[in-house]
Amino acid sequence: MEQYWMIARSVTYAQRMERMLMAAGIRTRIFRAPRELSNMGCAYAVEVTGGALRSALSILRSAGLYPAKLYLLQQGKYVEISL
Amino acid sequence: MIYLDSAATSFQKPETVGRAMVKALQTMSSPGRGGYPAAMQAADTLFSCRTELAELFHISEPDRVVFTMNATHGLNVAIKSLVPRGGRVVISGYEHNAVTRPLAALGAEIIVAGAPLFRPDLTTEAFEKAITSDVDAVVCSHVSNVFGVVQPVEAVAALCRERGVPFVIDASQSAGVMPLDMAALGAAFAAMPGHKGLYGPQGTGVLLCGDKAEATPLMEGGTGSLSIQQEMPDFLPDRLESGTHNVPGIAGLLEGIRFVRGKGESAICLHERKLALQASEGLRKLPGVCVCARRDLFAQTGVLSFVVDGVDSEFVGNALTEAGFAVRSGLHCAPLAHRTAGTIDSGTVRLSFSAFNTEKEVDLLLEALPGILKRLSD
Repeated sequence: MEQYWMIARSVTYAQRMERMLMAAGIRTRIFRAPRELSNMGCAYAVEVTGGALRSALSILRSAGLYPAKLYLLQQGKYVEISL
Repeated sequence: MIYLDSAATSFQKPETVGRAMVKALQTMSSPGRGGYPAAMQAADTLFSCRTELAELFHISEPDRVVFTMNATHGLNVAIKSLVPRGGRVVISGYEHNAVTRPLAALGAEIIVAGAPLFRPDLTTEAFEKAITSDVDAVVCSHVSNVFGVVQPVEAVAALCRERGVPFVIDASQSAGVMPLDMAALGAAFAAMPGHKGLYGPQGTGVLLCGDKAEATPLMEGGTGSLSIQQEMPDFLPDRLESGTHNVPGIAGLLEGIRFVRGKGESAICLHERKLALQASEGLRKLPGVCVCARRDLFAQTGVLSFVVDGVDSEFVGNALTEAGFAVRSGLHCAPLAHRTAGTIDSGTVRLSFSAFNTEKEVDLLLEALPGILKRLSD
């Protein structure tokens, strides 16, 4: 299963994204983003699985929430997806 | 001790508050500083508290709920974000030193929209005259900490919106007792303590930031975000929350807010006003006592001040302490309010009630007072 990591600017922002997605029945997980995925210093990532990405982004957008970056985790590597 | 000083701090808390604080001490670390369970549990607690506060006060996003040390801290952020050195500010005649001292430190020109006690109509008129478009901010307490007078913040907010002036509300005495709809008011900021009507512990406070409010940090430091840059983040709440949070305090505050929401602000206010009315009626029967309230407690919460003719209010307070009653006497850190009301020389004795006070406690106070006052005047 493909995994996508949405980078959030802060833990509060990541929590808002997580709660919004959970309310819509989309399973997520929050964790500290690897340093190389963020040029911000410290950041959090919200993980969603591949099938849920499109609806997750749509739900977040309609709530005015925008990930700072989006990555696809593929064969142990991160690929940035343009938002 | 019979505690009648909840306008200073609500001493009696729901049991859940203390339990949550102990649990936080035992299980939570620093929010935003890690992804491990103790850090995430702390972050979840803060987020839940922001969310409940946003719902209670009609704030659009939980990010705009900022944790502070107390209401004074929040008021300092709000005032110093809006008022430049030497700026012009309109305030009510019932403001606390938490408002007037930061303004004095800024060398601000302070225009006092003064009006007699319990005259919201005249207060509105005074603000209408004082607010001009060149004013940097308007600051008004929702409820006076000395007299419990409810100020017409809806009317003042409407004037501010009409004239394009940012509005700051000091909700120190109203949070948890009266509804405050930040979205409808369009206020820039509202500051409140966590340890009064929200039943949280001391050392907690909240600054609500309106949708258009641009805040300047009072202090800079680590936020667990944008660590690479040396400027504070430009987004809330991080912009105003540097350093480690008071996690046990906020965990307690969360339970206090749940208590308030469970009971309902209106029910708490009704209970406190009922006790204030009982006290007011009893005090009026005592010779030499002047109660600072209308007979029907119009435009008033459960905060009640009185003056004893010819007796220093501090003597009355001390005598009540010896008799086992905790009250507040003197100027209550609000000399402006006493000047406006004409009680600056005597100060007042203040009774303030919470959800935990009872009619029996008021009866005991009213039974004790005649003897105390007789001894003091002999």
